Amino acid sequence: MTMKTIKYVAAVFAMIALAGCNKDFLTKAPLDNVNTANFYKTQSDAIAAINAAYQPLQRPKLYNLRMWATDIMAGNSETGGANDGSDGIETIQESNFVTQADNAGVLDLYRGPAPGILQCNIVLQKVPAINMDAAVKTRVLGEAQFLRGLYYFILVRFFGDVPLILTPQEPGSPDIYPTRTPKAQVYTQIITDLTNAMNSLPPASSYTGADIGRASKGAAAGMLAKVYLTLGQYQKCLDLCQQVDGMGYALNADYADNFNPLKKNTVESLFEVQYSGTTTYGFFDDLNQASWVSTFTGPRNQTNFVQGAYGWDLPTQEFIDSYEAGDKRKDETVLYQGCPSFYGNTYNSSYSLTGYNVRKFLVPASISPAYNTNPEDFPVLRYADILLMEAECLNELGQTIAAAAPLNKVRARAGLPNIATGLSQDDFRTAVLHERRMELAFEGQRWFDLIRINNGQYGLDFLHSIGKTNATTKNLLLPIPQLEIDANPNLKQNPGY
Amino acid sequence: MKKYLSNSYSRHKGKTAALLFVALLSTTAPATLIAAIPHYTKYTQQSITVTGKVTDSKGMAIPGATILEKGTQKGVVSDANGNFKINVAGASSVLVVRFVGYNDTEITVGAQTSITVTLQENVKTLNDVVVVGYGTQKKRDLTGAVGSVNAKDIANQPVPDAGQAIEGKVAGVQVISSGSPGANVAIQIRGVGTINDSSPLLVIDGVPTPSDVNYLNNLNMNDIASIDVLKDASASAIYGSQGANGVVIITTKKGSAGQGRLNFDFNAGVQSVAHTIPLLDAEQFVQLNNEELRNDNRATNPAYANPSSFGKGTNWLDAILRKAPIQSYSLSYSGGSDKSDYYVSIGVLDQDGVVIDSKYRRYNLQFNSNQKVLPWLKTGSNLTLEHDEKPSGGGSISSALAANPAQPIYNPDGSYAGPVGQSQWYGSITNPVGLYNLVQNNTNGYNVLGNIYAEATIIPGLTFRSTPGITATFYDTRTWAPENNLQPSPQAQSYLAESYNKSITWNWDNYLTYDKFFGDDHHLTVLAGTSAESNSFNYISGNITGFASDVTQQLHDGTTQPNIDGDGSQWSLFSLIARANYSYKDRYLLTATVRRDGSSRFGANKKYGTFPSASFAWRISQEPFFQDIHFFDDLKLRAGYGTTGNQNGIGNYTFASALTPAQYVFNGTVVPIEILENAANPALSWETIKQTNIGIDATFLHQRISMSVDGYIKNTTGMLVPTNLPISTGYTSSPPVNAGKVQNKGIEININTHNLTGALQWNTNFNISFNQNKILSLDQNNSLFPAGSSVGLNGYLAINQVGLPVNAFYGYVTQGVFQTQYDVEAHATQVNGNDVYNRTSAGDIRFKDLNGDGVIDANDRTIIGDPNPKGIYAMTNTFAYKGFDLSVALQGVYGNQIYNANNITLESMSGANNQSAYVLSRWEGAGTSNSMPRAIYGDPNENSRISDRYIENGAYMRIKNVAFGYNLPKNVLVHTFIRSARVYLSGQNLYTFTKYTGIDPEVAANGIDENVYPLTRTLSVGLNLGL
Repeated sequence: MTMKTIKYVAAVFAMIALAGCNKDFLTKAPLDNVNTANFYKTQSDAIAAINAAYQPLQRPKLYNLRMWATDIMAGNSETGGANDGSDGIETIQESNFVTQADNAGVLDLYRGPAPGILQCNIVLQKVPAINMDAAVKTRVLGEAQFLRGLYYFILVRFFGDVPLILTPQEPGSPDIYPTRTPKAQVYTQIITDLTNAMNSLPPASSYTGADIGRASKGAAAGMLAKVYLTLGQYQKCLDLCQQVDGMGYALNADYADNFNPLKKNTVESLFEVQYSGTTTYGFFDDLNQASWVSTFTGPRNQTNFVQGAYGWDLPTQEFIDSYEAGDKRKDETVLYQGCPSFYGNTYNSSYSLTGYNVRKFLVPASISPAYNTNPEDFPVLRYADILLMEAECLNELGQTIAAAAPLNKVRARAGLPNIATGLSQDDFRTAVLHERRMELAFEGQRWFDLIRINNGQYGLDFLHSIGKTNATTKNLLLPIPQLEIDANPNLKQNPGY
Repeated sequence: MKKYLSNSYSRHKGKTAALLFVALLSTTAPATLIAAIPHYTKYTQQSITVTGKVTDSKGMAIPGATILEKGTQKGVVSDANGNFKINVAGASSVLVVRFVGYNDTEITVGAQTSITVTLQENVKTLNDVVVVGYGTQKKRDLTGAVGSVNAKDIANQPVPDAGQAIEGKVAGVQVISSGSPGANVAIQIRGVGTINDSSPLLVIDGVPTPSDVNYLNNLNMNDIASIDVLKDASASAIYGSQGANGVVIITTKKGSAGQGRLNFDFNAGVQSVAHTIPLLDAEQFVQLNNEELRNDNRATNPAYANPSSFGKGTNWLDAILRKAPIQSYSLSYSGGSDKSDYYVSIGVLDQDGVVIDSKYRRYNLQFNSNQKVLPWLKTGSNLTLEHDEKPSGGGSISSALAANPAQPIYNPDGSYAGPVGQSQWYGSITNPVGLYNLVQNNTNGYNVLGNIYAEATIIPGLTFRSTPGITATFYDTRTWAPENNLQPSPQAQSYLAESYNKSITWNWDNYLTYDKFFGDDHHLTVLAGTSAESNSFNYISGNITGFASDVTQQLHDGTTQPNIDGDGSQWSLFSLIARANYSYKDRYLLTATVRRDGSSRFGANKKYGTFPSASFAWRISQEPFFQDIHFFDDLKLRAGYGTTGNQNGIGNYTFASALTPAQYVFNGTVVPIEILENAANPALSWETIKQTNIGIDATFLHQRISMSVDGYIKNTTGMLVPTNLPISTGYTSSPPVNAGKVQNKGIEININTHNLTGALQWNTNFNISFNQNKILSLDQNNSLFPAGSSVGLNGYLAINQVGLPVNAFYGYVTQGVFQTQYDVEAHATQVNGNDVYNRTSAGDIRFKDLNGDGVIDANDRTIIGDPNPKGIYAMTNTFAYKGFDLSVALQGVYGNQIYNANNITLESMSGANNQSAYVLSRWEGAGTSNSMPRAIYGDPNENSRISDRYIENGAYMRIKNVAFGYNLPKNVLVHTFIRSARVYLSGQNLYTFTKYTGIDPEVAANGIDENVYPLTRTLSVGLNLGL
């Protein structure tokens, strides 16, 4: 072989060698995650998938901020915060009822449930085919039904008709541009899901260890009761509340135990959003594991109360004035000048624009050393709520006298005397709604009460009475975010926006 | 000369090009003026007068040639007919005849009194070589559109990197720099070809660099020999799927045979803030704060009762800005023999930012060498080692813009002051000076770019070249935020975060080149080979708090639970490449290329793409029939068509749906979760760009003028566009689909003229390009709102819609300000309500009811602007006289709008942030303003909504650089050890002509100005020394 040939052969060999290896050379799979094709195969996959369906609840788009911030729109409080023209302006606009379709808070509330619904849908689609323990499979499917019901229940109350999506969608297919499903049909699906969940899920008492806090039969029943209450189907609501009564739930002796980060999933808790306070993810990240509520509601600039607190959610004078004398919940719920000290710190009314701050969620530095380490759970459904629903239903069903018993249980814990006897049905309704306002204050329940009673007229009357004269019927629903209407031309805006 | 001028008038009548061209020429001096350049008339008795004529090899007269008597300072210039007359000392005198583009010619006068001097064309100039990817080509043989910049063009500018230096140097190439030290520039060639990443491929010494790192920053400018920009598809198709946005090829210097050379370059300057945003002073801020709270029926600050007592207060911008030095040093030695050559350099750049606590330091080493190892084997290597440090403080310019001017920087006790008290009065901006000084960020970069080649000659004409190369980027980041008491958010514990990142790209090119003449007329070059690239990226990061002492700033010393993170990704590309160049009689030139790329970024069925191109050039000036046309020195027509691809900005794994691992917690026990966030698009494929280019290159008037004109149509098909992914799908990120079509078409003109060629030389380079871009189709023809155009607004301010330019601005149309409540009621409903403090009122902005339905809502939005410039242009004039030289570079764009997004916050007047001084013209009662609305806390009318309120004219012209230098004369240096010496003064960003009110009209390609970094002006002195 001549030198020339050797060189020639070497060159060709080098090129072919590279060409030959290129099949593997060009196959690169993601290193840091699995994909839909190689996942959903085992029981642990199923559990990791259903656990993920809870996570969107933790996000600021739902229970970490926007859900409880609806109390501001409901008139219990003012926004507070930075007041620098950016932070909180969407909440100020919502609470002044000048909300536009590009409102960031509204966008969050619309966005919040969507990834949860997708995650439930993928579980309901994939898990039935997984070969796994039958009881666990039933539970996992039940959890998905419960959570999907909850997510849609959030959406339908804020937005009315919403697209109802029950299977995961493929981008590129035309079904990703749905129209809005009528509200009634969405409610039918919510009732189906929660009913199925109630039948599939084990009672809370059967959970142990790291399963405590999962959706349970009681959570599903209680949530379904709330759906029926919202729909004005009082008998069905009452039946479910009474079923829950038999499941072993009770009021915590101390009201404050419901908001104590060291006491999770108490006997009063039907369902709560859980936080660990780990800082693996950024505080403002969707995947953040720390509760925001203490940092958000702590007195602004008062680092000895709560590290780096923003001073949001300032109770109004009208709210403070609504406390009955002797209501023990006042000292647990709000900070006011002259209130008991917070871990040795004396409150001064100059700390807040209104003179008040929300106290019930505050966590001291001994438990949460930094602004982003709070492990406090957020209550979604408490037994006190069940009792108040029961009282309301009995009253609406004409059993006003019987209705006093569950109401009085809640009042007794608050150190208040029994409700006056002989109240008319209307007066009792006023009393129970007042009790709901004080008992569930700042937990994101008030707005839903305002808009459900008397087709929302109750809410409008209340809002007008506290000077929020801008509120009209249109405000009973939030606008569909403009981003979504821009992305999906099949959606029509709610009237008035 | 005048005759030529009139010729050129008629030849180019009616064309835009001609207008510009004429405009240029008409500024050149008439021949009489040229002839009037001083010649020295101190004749002696013995002097003889010589007359003569300067011609080219075809016998055509050359006007403007310089005729010097060697060894004296006597000189004249030939007139319009090439004639000259000079008095010389005697018969032994030697005439030196010079003309640009021709070789210097020396003639001894002897007995002649009439001399015809025939100048030979400077073959070297005509044979300028252009690097075209996998080889080089003579500039005159190019069939595609290629722009070139050489070392001289970018020298003497006090800018830290080559990216900023090439701004305005090549027609159709737009360079956008943010101005902050060490930040990358964005380069865009021939408009926005895709709504995705439209940055070009950067190839350094043959090594393609990954698109996610901009290596332009990492080179010492003094090491760069040339920058070639492949603009059209026929030129860039050899880079296939990476070539769609054009290719920028950088070649570093090499040594030349002969005596070794030592060069030292030094530059030192001062940077200052050229322009920034005027802000309210304390008194004005306090007044505004009172006014906006009053307008919303809120309590005003009792402490603000007397605004005039606050005076000027603190100007937070002034507090964080400064004059800052920049200096660079570069030392190189080079040389070679017929067997080998070398170039070695070391460079240091040291730049302080105009923002306090920021700095940029860069160290470079460059080693280049070539050897002839064996008669049949050549080898060579290029190695760049680079290290940079970018320390910066923890504050932000945005917060300095927003901070309360009524607050001092320091408390009386010397500690940092901060807002304490109600934030609707005092704001809530943490002291920016405090943050800058206390919090330390640092990024350290380490880059290695290297390749080795071996080129073997197998048989004469056939060579095999193998080039393995590596591009390695390491960078680490560190943030140290010590425990502090800065209000309103003191930090209780010191915090340390560090990350280590590594990106390694290997590449290996192998190709055969066959180069052969068949007879005298046929010349064929064929190239075929393979190219492989593979990248892997990893990072690890961690942070911790709880430091016992701020002295021990190591992760080791934190006491709390650390957070750690780390991840990796990979991509690879394998390609087959082929190219043929054929020329017949140097007249007909044909280039054809094809590249087949396989990319790991696409799914199994879409991995491969084939990208062919062909181009043809006809050098008319070589035609026999053209030989009598002496006007042109060179005339070439080019036409090309080609297909390239784009895989930039797609993500390495977008074809696969990915679940995100994360966590949830039950009863305090953390559990792992796998959450479905990203939808898959397994059909994801290449963006394909089909480009047609027609060009003309002409050199005429004895090389006085050379110009290139290119027209192109660039159609991007299969453009990756995000699906209109409704929130209701539940996916967080939308996979793109190949469903868009964008057209860019345009004209580029580049003109070089040698206006004066005598003792005073004057050269002009002018380039201008006009580009039009339009979306031809989109997925289901739905409009798309580009991600990144929401500017934190909960709304998109740009739209991509069929028939419109890319990224057109979209929003409400304003119609002035309501002067009275009657006006509000007479107009369509904006925000109504019973609450007089929370509804549209007099002083609010009136939005146009476009659909006439009596309600202002989202249906009243429309196209409100176009961010794409109609034209970009640049002009550089250089003058030289004796040892002095002066260059003036202008650069600008026109025909575009800018969305001044900074004003959304700077003119909101709805909270306690400081505002721009423009709000002083706000509405304060009927007739006070019809453009700036009232101040009102909470902004009930949403005056800040996305509207044409923030649209401004983006046109500007900038005096980019003026440099004045002096070269020490050779006859002085000849007695020293110095070969050459030059000193210069240089000024960068001297002045900008614009109507834009923001900081700087040079904004990102999407036209959205969120940049708050001030424009800096640099004045510097420099020294170039050669031994």
